[in-house]
Amino acid sequence: MAISQETYQVLESIVGPEYISANPVICEGYRAGPGGYECGSGYERVMTKVPGCVIMPRTTEEVQKIVKVCNRYKIPYVPYSTGFYGARSHPHVSDELLIDLKRMNDFELDEKHLYAVVEPGIIYSQLQEEAMRRGMYIVVGGGGSQVSAIANMIGDGWSPLSYRIGLPHRRILGTELVLPDGELVKLGSLALQGDPFWGEGLGPDLRGLLRGFTGLRGCLGIVTKMAIKLLPFQPERLEPTGISPHTTLQLPTNRVKWINFSMPSKDAMKEAMYEMSKAEIGAGVTKVPIFWRVIAKAKSKEEFWKLWSKENEETLSSFHVLRVLLIGFASEEQLEYEERVLTDIITELGGEARRTRPSDESWFKNADAAGMWLMCGGYVSVDYVIETIEHAIPHGENYAQLKKSFTPPLMPDYGDPGWFQSFELSHQGYSEFLVYWDPDENTDRVDHFYLETSKENIRKRFYTSLLGPHQPLYLTGPAYGPNYHKWLLAVKGEFDPNFVCHPPVPLAHDAFVEQAEWMKPLKDWESPKIRQKK
Amino acid sequence: MLKGKTSLDVTQVENFIFDMTKCIKCKGCTWVDHIYMPGVKFSTRCPSATRYLFDSYGAYGKMRIGLALVEGRLDYSHELLKILYACTLCGACDVGCKRNLDLEIELTLEALRIKAVKDGKGPMPQHKKIAQDILTEHNRFGAPHQNRTKWLPEGIKPSPKADVLYFVGCSASYTNPEIAQATVKILDASGTPFMLMPDEWCCGNLLYSVGMVDEARELARRNVDMVKQAGATTLLTSCAECYRMWKVDYPKMLGISTADLGFRVVHLVEYVDELMKKGTLKLTNRIDLRLTYHDSCSLSRLSEPWVPWKGERGLWGMVNPPLDRRRGTNGVYQQPRDILKAIPGVELVEMPRMRENAFCCGAGRGTMEAFPDFALWAAEQRLAEVKEVGAEAVVSACPWCKDNFAKVVSKNGEKLKVFDISELVLASVEV
Repeated sequence: MAISQETYQVLESIVGPEYISANPVICEGYRAGPGGYECGSGYERVMTKVPGCVIMPRTTEEVQKIVKVCNRYKIPYVPYSTGFYGARSHPHVSDELLIDLKRMNDFELDEKHLYAVVEPGIIYSQLQEEAMRRGMYIVVGGGGSQVSAIANMIGDGWSPLSYRIGLPHRRILGTELVLPDGELVKLGSLALQGDPFWGEGLGPDLRGLLRGFTGLRGCLGIVTKMAIKLLPFQPERLEPTGISPHTTLQLPTNRVKWINFSMPSKDAMKEAMYEMSKAEIGAGVTKVPIFWRVIAKAKSKEEFWKLWSKENEETLSSFHVLRVLLIGFASEEQLEYEERVLTDIITELGGEARRTRPSDESWFKNADAAGMWLMCGGYVSVDYVIETIEHAIPHGENYAQLKKSFTPPLMPDYGDPGWFQSFELSHQGYSEFLVYWDPDENTDRVDHFYLETSKENIRKRFYTSLLGPHQPLYLTGPAYGPNYHKWLLAVKGEFDPNFVCHPPVPLAHDAFVEQAEWMKPLKDWESPKIRQKK
Repeated sequence: MLKGKTSLDVTQVENFIFDMTKCIKCKGCTWVDHIYMPGVKFSTRCPSATRYLFDSYGAYGKMRIGLALVEGRLDYSHELLKILYACTLCGACDVGCKRNLDLEIELTLEALRIKAVKDGKGPMPQHKKIAQDILTEHNRFGAPHQNRTKWLPEGIKPSPKADVLYFVGCSASYTNPEIAQATVKILDASGTPFMLMPDEWCCGNLLYSVGMVDEARELARRNVDMVKQAGATTLLTSCAECYRMWKVDYPKMLGISTADLGFRVVHLVEYVDELMKKGTLKLTNRIDLRLTYHDSCSLSRLSEPWVPWKGERGLWGMVNPPLDRRRGTNGVYQQPRDILKAIPGVELVEMPRMRENAFCCGAGRGTMEAFPDFALWAAEQRLAEVKEVGAEAVVSACPWCKDNFAKVVSKNGEKLKVFDISELVLASVEV
C-alpha cells in the first residue's frame, strides 16, 4: 500500500470501503498513458505516476473531508473527472491520491432561468441532450462530448459555435469550489441562499483565477458544483440517424444549416468572418483545414494515409474552405434572412457555396476529438491563442514554418498552418496548432518542438493560452511577466500552503525539463526550486 | 508487438499490445454514442464500468492492466481476475472504440482471458465446474445428455435429411424448451423441412468466452464436421450466443472465414424475416401488446462475419494488407424489429439504448456463472429502461437474455412479461 494504513482507514471512513482502493491493479487502471492526450510523449513518460490510492467521493462534504485529510497527512492529491486530459491531469508524484469524482453526478436544470447545475461526473453529451430536449443548447468544446462539463468549462471548452455565444467562462455561473486546504468557497450568487443564477455576485468571484491559473489541470482546488448558462436554441429536433461509426444528427434545414464556401484566399476567409460579424449573422464559423476533410472522408487509418499522401503544399495552400453555421433561433425567416446576407457577403468576396451535407457529426455533440488519434496514435494541440484574427493567422503560419524542421517525427502535413476562427462575433480571433506523431517511434524531437513553440512565442510576441500549465514557468514567466511566474507561485502558496494539490504543478514542465536528459540542450533559462514530496 | 508481423489471432495476446497502448481514455466505450445519448439517465453502455465504477473496470482500465500484465509489471491476483471476468464481453466497448479509434478491444479482452487460462490462473472456479459438465454431459447445465431432445413437441418430426439444420443449443434444449418448440413449429408452419444434429453437443460458448480456447476449438471442429456430414446448407439457431459462436468464433478458432464454413449460419429472426419477405410465413394473429425489443449482444453488435487477417504493422500503426474491421455496423438489428412490427396489434417502442448502444442483459460470456449478482444487477438496469418506456413486455432473441430478465422479474414480483421473439412469432402464425 502506497499510503499508510492509518491514512487509508481515515479515508475509508469517509467514503466507505467500496469506494476506495489502494490495490495495485485498481491503481494501474488509472495510469495516464501510454495512449491519450499528450501521452506517448516524454512528458507523460517522465512526469506521470500510477496513483497510490483511488477514492471516489459522492458529495462535496466528502471531498472536503478527503482534502483535509490530505493536508493533515501531507498526501499529494489530484482531482479526476473523466481523465481525458491525458498526462497533465494524472498524478505527477509517487503515492498520490487520485480523487475520482465520477460518483458526483447530480444534475438539475432550471428551464425558466436557462441554466443547469452539474457536478463533475456529468459529461457534455448528457448536458447537451438535456438542454436540447428543452429548446436550449451549449457549446460542446474540443475535448468532446465525453468529457466532464465542469473540467472543460474551467479549461478550454470552445468550438466553432463560440463564434456567437463566446468562450466558456462567460457561461460559468454560481460555482462551488473546495480549496486546496479543504475550505469550501461558493462563488457568485451561490454564496447567498444557495441560488447559483449569477456568476458575478454577490459572493466572491474567483472564476478568472481558477480558469486562468491552471484550469482543469487542477492545482487550485476542486470544483464540485457549477451552474452553467444555457442558451436558447430553436424548437426543431436534430434527429439522430445511422449506425456506429456512421452516426449523425440530421438537421432541420428550415432552422439549422451548415454551408461550406470555397473562398479565393485566406484573406477572403478572414474578411468573411469580419463581415458576418458586422452583420451579426451566423451561429458558427471556422476555417476548415483540409486535414479534417480527409479524416472525415477516410473509413480507416490506412485510407486516411492513402488520401493524405495525394495532398501537397500547393493543394494545402490553395484550399480555402469556410464553414458557416446558420440557425434560425427565432424563426425560419431569420435563417432565410441570414442566408441571403451571407450569400451577398460571400459573393462580394468572390466565394461560392459548395454542396454541404444537411447533417452534423462534429459540433453540436462533438466527439470527434477522439478521432484525432486515429491517424498517428499520438496527438496534442501544442498551442492555441485567443487574441485577434490578425494575431491568430500569423501564429499558425509561424508554427508551420517551425514545424518543418521537426518533421519527422511529427506527421508530414505539407505546411498546414492549423486552423483559425473568430470568437464572439470576431471580437476575438483563435488559432490552434495540432501536432501528430507516432508514439512508437523516438519522440524526443516531439518534446523539443513543444518547447521550441514556447520560445517562438516569446521571440515573435505571440500571446499563448498555454503559458502557465504547459510550458516551463521559469521560461515563460520572466518573458511575459516579468514576474508572472512569481505571481503564480505566490497564488499557489497562498491557496495551497502544504503544496499537496497536484504537485509540482505549476512547475511541472520545469520539472520535466530538469529530469529529461534529452531536454537539457534546450535549457537556457534559470531553474526554479521545485518542492518535492519527501 | 507494436510494429512488424501481427494478426488477429487471439491465442497470442502480443498481437494486441498495439491496441492496449493506444487507448486514450475518451471513454466512448462506456458512454452511449454521443449522437444517441439519451441524457443523464441510461447514459452508459458498459455494464462492468457502470457497476464497479473504478476506471479499472472500463475498457480503458482493462487495456492498461492488460498491458501491465503482459509486460510483467503486474501479476495475477483476485482483483485482476475479477476485472477480467466480471465483464459480459458484450462488445459495447468495441463498437464505441471503433466510432473513432478502431482499436480491437473485444479481441484484446478475449486474448487476455485466453492468456489467463494458459497461465493457469483462469478461468474462475465456477467456470471450471461448468466446463467439466460440458465435457462429460455435452451441455452447460450438467443435465443428462440423453435428455437433450426431450423438448421435441408431439406432432413435429424433424427430417432425417434437409437443407436446414436447427442447432437447438443447451438453453433451448433443457431450460427454455418453449423457444425450441416455437422455433420448430414456425418452421413447420412455413413448410420448411429441417433436421437436427444426430447427436447435438454444446456449442462451447462458455468455454471460448472464459478463455478455454483449446477445449472450445475441439468442440468447434466436431460440430462443424457434424454439419458438413449432415449435408446441411443452412445452420439455424434460436440462441444469440450459439449464433455468434457458429458465425464468428468457430471460424476465428479454426483460422477460416465465416464464408468458408461450407454452410450459412442464420438466426431465427433472419430466417423468419426472409420467409415473411418471400410470403411463405404470414403473421396474422393479433397480439395486443406494447413491447420493447432488447438487442442481444451476440446477435447484434458482435455478429458480423469473421475474416482472418494477418499482416504487418508499420509507421503510424498502419497495417498491410488492409484490414476490414468489424465495427458492429452490420449486426442483426432491423429484422427482429420488422418482424415485431408486422404482428398485428403489437406496438413496438424503443428503449433509449438500442441497437449498438444497447445495455447488455448481463448473463452471457461466463458472467452469470461467476458473478450472478452482477448479472442480475445488469438485467435490473435494463428492465428499468423497459419500464421507462412504458412497455408491457420485453422481447429478446436469446434464451440467456430471456432467462436473466425473467429471474429479475420473478425476484421482484413484477408484472412485466418476458418473451423470446420465437414465442410471439408462433403466437401470430399458429392456427
